[in-house]
Amino acid sequence: MRMRLSSAAFAALLAVLLTGPTAHAAELKDELVIGISQFPGNFNPNIDSMLAKSYILAMARRPFTVYDKDWRLICMLCTELPDLERGTARIEPTAEGKKGIALTYTIRPDAVWGDGTPITTDDVLFTWQAGREPTTGISNLELYDRITSIDQHDDKTFTMHVNKFTCDYAGINDFEVLPAHVDRANFAEPAEYKNRSAYETDTTNPGLWFGPYRVTQVVFGSHVVLEPNPTWWGKKPQFKRVVVKAIENTAALTANLLSGDIDYIAGELGLLLDQALAFEKRHGDKFDFSYKSGLIYEHIDLNLDNPILADRRVRRALVHAIDRGAISQQLFEGHQPVAHGQTNPLDRVYFKDTPSYAFDPARAAQLLDEAGWDTLKDGIRYNDRGEPLQLELMTTAGNKTRELVQQVLQADWRKVGVDVRIRNEPARVYFGQTLRERKFRAMGMYAWISSPENIPRTTLHSTMIPTADNGWSGQNFPAFRNDELDTVLDDMETECDASKNQALWNRMQEIYATELPVLPLYFRANPYILPKWLKGVEPTGHQYPTALWIEDWHTVN
Amino acid sequence: MTLVDTTGSTTGTVRGTRLSRRFLQHRLAVASAGIIVVLALLSLAAPAVEWLLGTSAATTNLFDRTAAPSWQHPLGTDEIGRDLLLRLLYGGRVSLAAGLVAAIASAVIGTFIGLLAGFYGGRLDALLMRFTDGVIALPLLPLLIVLAAIDLNKLGLPPSIAQSENVSLYRIILIIALVGWTTVARLVRVEALSMRSREFVLAAVAQGSGSARIMWVHILPNIVSPIIVATTLSIGNIVLFESVLSFLGLGIQPPLPSWGNMLTNAQEVIWSSPQLAIWPGLMIFITVIAFNFLGDGLQDAMDPRAID
Amino acid sequence: MLRFVSGRLIESLIVLLALSFIIYWLMGLMPGDPIDIMIASDPNLTAADAQRLKALYGLDQPIFERYLNWIGSALEGNFGYSRLHTRPVMEVVGARLPNTVLLLGLSLVLALAIAVPVGIYAALKPYSQLDYIINLTCFAGISVPPFWLALLLIILFAVTLGWLPAGGMGHVVAGSSGAFGARLEHLILPTATLTLLTVGGFTRFMRASMLQTLRQDFIRTARAKGVSLSRMVAAHALRNALLPLVTVVALSFGAMFSGALITETMFSWLGMGKMIYDSILGNDYNLALVGLMFATGLTLLGNFLADVAYVWLDPRITFVSLEQRR
Repeated sequence: MRMRLSSAAFAALLAVLLTGPTAHAAELKDELVIGISQFPGNFNPNIDSMLAKSYILAMARRPFTVYDKDWRLICMLCTELPDLERGTARIEPTAEGKKGIALTYTIRPDAVWGDGTPITTDDVLFTWQAGREPTTGISNLELYDRITSIDQHDDKTFTMHVNKFTCDYAGINDFEVLPAHVDRANFAEPAEYKNRSAYETDTTNPGLWFGPYRVTQVVFGSHVVLEPNPTWWGKKPQFKRVVVKAIENTAALTANLLSGDIDYIAGELGLLLDQALAFEKRHGDKFDFSYKSGLIYEHIDLNLDNPILADRRVRRALVHAIDRGAISQQLFEGHQPVAHGQTNPLDRVYFKDTPSYAFDPARAAQLLDEAGWDTLKDGIRYNDRGEPLQLELMTTAGNKTRELVQQVLQADWRKVGVDVRIRNEPARVYFGQTLRERKFRAMGMYAWISSPENIPRTTLHSTMIPTADNGWSGQNFPAFRNDELDTVLDDMETECDASKNQALWNRMQEIYATELPVLPLYFRANPYILPKWLKGVEPTGHQYPTALWIEDWHTVN
Repeated sequence: MTLVDTTGSTTGTVRGTRLSRRFLQHRLAVASAGIIVVLALLSLAAPAVEWLLGTSAATTNLFDRTAAPSWQHPLGTDEIGRDLLLRLLYGGRVSLAAGLVAAIASAVIGTFIGLLAGFYGGRLDALLMRFTDGVIALPLLPLLIVLAAIDLNKLGLPPSIAQSENVSLYRIILIIALVGWTTVARLVRVEALSMRSREFVLAAVAQGSGSARIMWVHILPNIVSPIIVATTLSIGNIVLFESVLSFLGLGIQPPLPSWGNMLTNAQEVIWSSPQLAIWPGLMIFITVIAFNFLGDGLQDAMDPRAID
Repeated sequence: MLRFVSGRLIESLIVLLALSFIIYWLMGLMPGDPIDIMIASDPNLTAADAQRLKALYGLDQPIFERYLNWIGSALEGNFGYSRLHTRPVMEVVGARLPNTVLLLGLSLVLALAIAVPVGIYAALKPYSQLDYIINLTCFAGISVPPFWLALLLIILFAVTLGWLPAGGMGHVVAGSSGAFGARLEHLILPTATLTLLTVGGFTRFMRASMLQTLRQDFIRTARAKGVSLSRMVAAHALRNALLPLVTVVALSFGAMFSGALITETMFSWLGMGKMIYDSILGNDYNLALVGLMFATGLTLLGNFLADVAYVWLDPRITFVSLEQRR
C-alpha cells in the first residue's frame, strides 16, 4: 500500500514539474549565449575539421571563399573569384604534363589580424608550408598537396598553381590562412606544431583572429567567450559578448534554454530534429523555430556483394516497401523531405525527372516474387533453396532518431515478408571499421553532408571502393561498379560547358536512381531554436555555418 | 554505482517456520515480494496481453504517435506508435532477466571463489583474495565502458551470438557477472573460514569425505542465506545499473526494449510526452525499491543480528 | 605501523601498474581508432594520409610496445599530450581535478552531516512511524536512476522555479567579483544530486550499526546503571557505531567517482568522471590512463583510510591483526 502511494506521489510530482516553466526575460541583449552540444578539441583551423570548431571560428575568422546562403560561391577574404575569362585563372600543363590551373587571388586590402598586422601573402605562404608538411598532423593534406607552388606578386596578390583542373576551380574554401607573425616560431618543429600552435597555447592572442569577433576567454570543455574585434573591417556586430556554451546532454541543453542560461540553440550542432519538434509542441510560443533542410543526405548503403542485394529487383522492392512519406510527414512533420537520389532538389544541378519509387507494398511483393522470394512461411519469404529473405540493418548506436526510423523500416519490411534484423554499433566502430572495411553484411544507415554541386565521385566511382589493397580508402561502401557512371563522373569534373555539364549531372542521377546502390531516405534538416528577439540568423542548408554571417545577427523588441 | 554492499554474516541453520514468521513481520518486504511477483508474471504474460490487445509490441504506426491512453492502447503509444504497455512488459522481461541472470551468475562465481579461498585457506586464499581486492579496486564504470565497446568477434565468439539482436543483453549480463561477484566471494569466504573449524565439518574430514563433497554437502547449505540476501539486493541494483549504462549509450540496444533504454530515449521528448519517461522510470524505481525491501526483509528474517 | 603503511603502499603501486596495463590492453581491444573515423568521414584522406596520421599518434605500433613507451616517459614525469584536448595531460587533469574534488567532497560532507544524526535518531526509535519514513526515503534515494533524479532537479529548480542555473560552471570572467558566487551557484544542483544518491545508503548503515551497538552488552550495562540515553550515545555508542560507517564511506570513494560521471554529464560540470569517459571513448590513451590512475588511486586511498580508521576507532584491532585479516 505504502509503495503504491509513493509511486503515485512520484508521478504527481513529475506532472507538477512539467506544467510550465517561468519565462525569463532577456534583459541583457548585449550578450548572446549560444548553446551547442560539443566542445571543440582544438582551435587551430587547419588541424582537423570538427563542426564545433568551425562554428566558433566562423565568428573570429573567415575563409578565402565559401558558399553563401543561396549556395553560390563567394569571396570572403579575397576580392574576387579567379575566372578563366578574366584571366585570373589560367589553364596550364603540370610538370607531369597533365592539365593544371593557375589561380590568382587578391587578399582584401583592408584585411588585418586582430593585433593590427595586415594579412599578407606571407601568411598564405606560411599556411601552405604548414599545410603540406606531413608531420604536422593536418588531416586535409590533399588540399595543400594539390598546390604545387605559390607566386607572391605583392603583399596582397598571389597566384597558386594547382596540379589538377576541375570546373569548380575557383573555390578554396578549406584554405585556412594562419598568422605567420604569430605561429611561424611554433612551427620550428613541425611534429610538435599541433600542440605548440598559438591557437592552443595562447588562444586569446588577438593576432590569431580577424573576424567580427575574437576569442577572449576559453574554459576548456565548458565555454568560449568572444568579444568584438576592433580591427574587423566589415559591418560592426551588435553583441558586446558572445558566449558559446557546450552542453552535451540534449535534455540538459533544452533545460538550459528554458531556464534562460542559454539564449539560443544552434541548428548546426544542437538538437536532433524530432527532439526539437517535441520541444516546439510544448514551448513553441516562447521561441522561434527554423528548420532548414539541406545537404545532409540520410540513406541506407546496400552491400552489393550480398547475393540477395545483388539483384536489382530486390533493391527496388525494398524501396517500394517503405513508407518514407509517412516517416517524413509524421516523424519529421514534413521538415525532412523524402530523398529520391543523392542530389538535393534545392541544388542547382538537380535533375527533376529522376526516377522515383512510391510507397507500394503490392509492387514490392511482386518484385520479390519475380526475384524468386516467393514462398511465404510465418510471414517471411523464402526462395527455392529454402533460404530466408533475411537482411541485417545497421546504424550508429545511440542515435535515437536513426534507431526509431530503423524500427519503423523494420516493421514496414516485415509486412512484405522481409526479415530485417537490427544490429547497431557505436559510431567509432561503425564508421571506423564496419563501414570503412565494408564489413556490414547487408544494409548500413547513415548520412553524408556535402557542399552544393558536390560531385559524388568518392562515394560512387568504382576506384573508390575501399579494399585492403588501397588501405580502405574511398567511400564507395556499397561497392557499386558501373562503367558508364565512372565515365560520367570523370567527365563531370572537367566538362565546364553549362549545358553539357548539366546533362552529365542528369545522367548521373538517372543511373543512381535506376540502379539503386543506395536506398535514399530523406534530406535532414537542422533545427534552430531562436529567442524571439534574435533576428538575422539565416540557416545555410550546407556544411558552412550561419556564424559566418554573425555580423548580421541583431535583436528586436 | 556499486553493485551491492552487504556485510551480512550468519551462522547455523535457520528453521523455516521461524524464518517465514520473521519475514512476514516485515510488511514492506512482503508487499515488495508481492509486487515483484506481479511484475514478473505480467512480464511473462506479455504475449497473452499482446493477444488480448490484438497488436504486437513491434507494430509501429506513424499515424498514431504518442497517443493518449485508450482501450486499444491502455497506456497510450510511444514516439513511433507502438503500444507503450506492451513495450513496458517486454522491457520488464529484459530488465528483470538481465538482473536475475547477472545476479545469479555473479553469485555462482562469487560462491565458487569464496568457497575455494575459505575452505582451502593458505596460499590459495591469499592469492584469490588479492585478486578480489584487485577487482574491487578497479574503477568500475570506466572499465565497463571499455568492456561494453570491445568487439565480441575479436574475442572469438561465434557470429550467431556476436551478431544477434540480443547481443547487448548477453554482454551486459557477462560484464556484470565479471565484476559483480566480489561481494559474494568475500561473504562466502568468511563463512567458509569459520565453518571449516566447526565440529561437523571436522568430523566429515575425519571420516575421509572428499573436499568437494564437504563443501557441497556441509558448508554450502549453511551459508546459503547471506548469498540469497546479497543476490536479491544485487538484482535491484543491476536493474538500476542497466539504466545508467543505457544513459551512457552502452546498455541494451534497440530493437530490444528495456526499461533503461526506454527511459533514456524518453528524456529527449520529455517536454512533449513526459508519460513516456514516467512509466519506465516508475517501473525501475518500483522494481529496485522492491528488491531492496525484499533483501532487507530476508536479511532480517534470516539473521536478526546482522547489520542490515 | 610503518611496516603496514609501506606494505600497503607497495601493494597499491603494484595494483596501479597492473591496472595501467589492463586498461591499455582493453582500450586496444576496442575496434576502430580515431584515425579510422577521420578517414571514413573525409573523402580526401588517402591510405598514405591514414598511415602518416597513425604513425604521428603512435597508433601503428603494437599495443605492448606503445604501453612500454608510455610507461617509460610517464616514469620520467612526461605524461604526454591529450589527443582530444590538444593540451598536456597534466594541464587537463589539473583543471578538472579540483572541480571533482569540490563536488565529491561537498556531497560527502553533506551526506554524512545528514546521515549520522538521522541514522542515530532512527536507531533510537526503531520501528517507529518516523523510522519507517526515514527508511522509505533512504530506499527511494538509492533506487532512483541517477540521471533521472538530475533531470527532475533541473526541471524543478532551474526551469519551473528558475532559482538555480541548469548547468555549466558559470561563464563570468574568472577573477572578477562575481566569479566565486557564480561557481557556487552552479555547484548547488550537482551537489544536491550526488548527496541525495549517497545519503540513503549512509543513513541506513548508520542506523544499522547504531542498532547493533545499542544491543551490545556494555551499552546494556551502562543503561542498567542509569546512564541517560543521549549521554550514552555521545559517550559510548557513537564511536562504536561510526566504525563501520567510516569503512563504508572510505570504500565508497571509487563508487562516488563513478556516480560523479552521471552528475557531471547532466550538469555540464567539468570534472574527472566526464573526462575519463570521453577520453576512453575517444581513444585518448594518455588522458584516459592518467585519469584512471587517479580514480584507482582514490579507491586505494579509500581502502587504506578504511583500514587506518579501523585501528583508530577500535583499539582492539592492531595493525598486525589487520594484516592478518587481510
